[in-house]
Amino acid sequence: MAWYTVKRLIQGIITVWFIATATFWAMHQVPGDPFIGEKAVSPEVEANLKARWGLDKPPLEQYWIFMRNMGQGDFGISFAQESRSVNDIILERFPVSAILGILAIVFAGLGGVLYGALTALYRNQWPDVLIILLVIIGISVPSFVFASVGQLVLVIINQILGFNVLPVAGWGDISHMLIPALVLGLGTMAFLTRLMRSSMLEIVSADFIRTARSKGVPSAQVFSRHQLRNAVLPVITVLGPSVASITTGGFVVENIFGIPGLGQSFVLAVQQSDYGVIMGTTVFYGAFLVLMVIIVDLLYAWIDPRVRLE
Amino acid sequence: MALLDVKNLHVEFTTYGGIVHAVRGVDFSVDEGETLAIVGESGCGKSVTVQSIMGLIPMPPGRITQGTAHLRGHDIIQSKIIDGKDIRGNFVGMIFQDPMTSLNPTMTIGAQIAEPLEVHRGHSHRDAMKRATELLDMVQIPEAAKRARQYPFEFSGGMLQRAMIAMAIACEPLVLMADEPSTALDVTIQAQILDLVKSIQKETGMAIILITHDLGVVARLADTVSVMYAGEVMEAGSVDDVFYRSAHPYTLGLKEAMPTNQTGRSRQLKPIDGSPPDLFSPPKGCSYAARCPHTMEVCLENNPNAFAMQEGHQAKCWLHHEECEVAAEDLYQA
Repeated sequence: MAWYTVKRLIQGIITVWFIATATFWAMHQVPGDPFIGEKAVSPEVEANLKARWGLDKPPLEQYWIFMRNMGQGDFGISFAQESRSVNDIILERFPVSAILGILAIVFAGLGGVLYGALTALYRNQWPDVLIILLVIIGISVPSFVFASVGQLVLVIINQILGFNVLPVAGWGDISHMLIPALVLGLGTMAFLTRLMRSSMLEIVSADFIRTARSKGVPSAQVFSRHQLRNAVLPVITVLGPSVASITTGGFVVENIFGIPGLGQSFVLAVQQSDYGVIMGTTVFYGAFLVLMVIIVDLLYAWIDPRVRLE
Repeated sequence: MALLDVKNLHVEFTTYGGIVHAVRGVDFSVDEGETLAIVGESGCGKSVTVQSIMGLIPMPPGRITQGTAHLRGHDIIQSKIIDGKDIRGNFVGMIFQDPMTSLNPTMTIGAQIAEPLEVHRGHSHRDAMKRATELLDMVQIPEAAKRARQYPFEFSGGMLQRAMIAMAIACEPLVLMADEPSTALDVTIQAQILDLVKSIQKETGMAIILITHDLGVVARLADTVSVMYAGEVMEAGSVDDVFYRSAHPYTLGLKEAMPTNQTGRSRQLKPIDGSPPDLFSPPKGCSYAARCPHTMEVCLENNPNAFAMQEGHQAKCWLHHEECEVAAEDLYQA
């Protein structure tokens, strides 16, 4: 187990290195640089700036410098945001994204398991049909549509009631987080619901469920102890990749709801060719996702004793 | 009164193709310390019979349309509760065919054996686990304490079946229902499992209902036999009666289809030609008529009643009608 974790972490570091390298070269292939903005700067100023930040050096040398700094945990500075360090930006903004993401995952996970179990219990009856219909909508409609529609509905509700039930945008307390997190988790929730449903239906006719009933175990206990735990295994498997889709979904949702998270600053950085922030956020997100997948794999081994990590 | 008495049981399944009449008027009874074997080919309704009595078939699509089942005089078709206690796992234990899939893969063996003790006896988890270890020891699993903390995937097939037995007898049931307990195991392990079941029966005096299609297993373990075909009991009686004084052409057919370890043409395996009737629309007459070498006109039109041969031995065959010209004695010789 310990050795497995170490092995996975080393693999993860290689993955992150690959992400960093690919992003670095792709980024430098994009036309423009951080100093081509709305305000034109004179060639002399531009040359000075480039020299100041090392952008006049050959790309390969820049790459080595960047890699060396990154190895020491230093992502450099932002060119667009008053020379703030990228680490600062990540430290300030990531917690916001993380709270949003965790809430979304909790919504998606709990909702998916709950609705999936419900559909399986009421198979082919109206709750099943209704939830599956919503699931199809949830899977096929992209999150930016849900975000806009969600905002619109919120505006209408607030107008009708004459006071703000929940704020439409911005960031602050829990009331700002609920709707964006719900919107962000919706697609994943729909996907997990469908997965949970088929998994439950498969388990319900399993031999060991019959065994449990032959022992006289009350149905509530058969459900919780025997059925749910086994049915939830495939859901946990996809939780890792789900973190990825929720993270990338966060870029859009943060922008629409005006949430000052890392996703928002990433989008802004790309628009401004803010090299340092692009690299920093990409590598950071990459490392975060790799870590999440490893954690989910370890969690899986803990829930399913058949999984041996070697 | 018998310990478990089942009368005229009918079970149907509603499917897309129509209604399957899986069990059509089955009677049997079993007493303390006695072993009843229910034999028959695949799909003859032997598993459905016991599983429907135990409420283990999904309803719908399945349903019991007729019949009664009494455990010590209590009706157990309407309600599985006697004196406020679920009979399942408590008064009746069950073992299933495939031990590999019949145990919960994410629960330890010990916890699964302890579960009925917690449910029915109100044992604390700690006490139940202790008892589970003793039970594992009783079914001859070495290092029981260590094994109790392991998961099904860490056990071999034979050991899993032992664990299943430990689970089924945890609450010292009156009846053990074993649904092909040795079919999925190799021959040496089969023998061990059957011996184990028998020795436990000797100790506890429980009744056993053994479902199997293996006549060798029947000879080894059973006191009485019910031969099932197409959802009906064709012949029933003591092992000696059914094996040596077979009174139904189907029983004879089964015996001839059994492989022996002797050589020679006379010992060739003789299959029963044809296939069982379609249970979507069971035949009007005897369900074995289409495959029977002795079929008469009456067989095609009328389903025979059970004719009593002698005390406790009966066969559902027109050959035993008093007006039948074919001497039933000829059958015994075959």
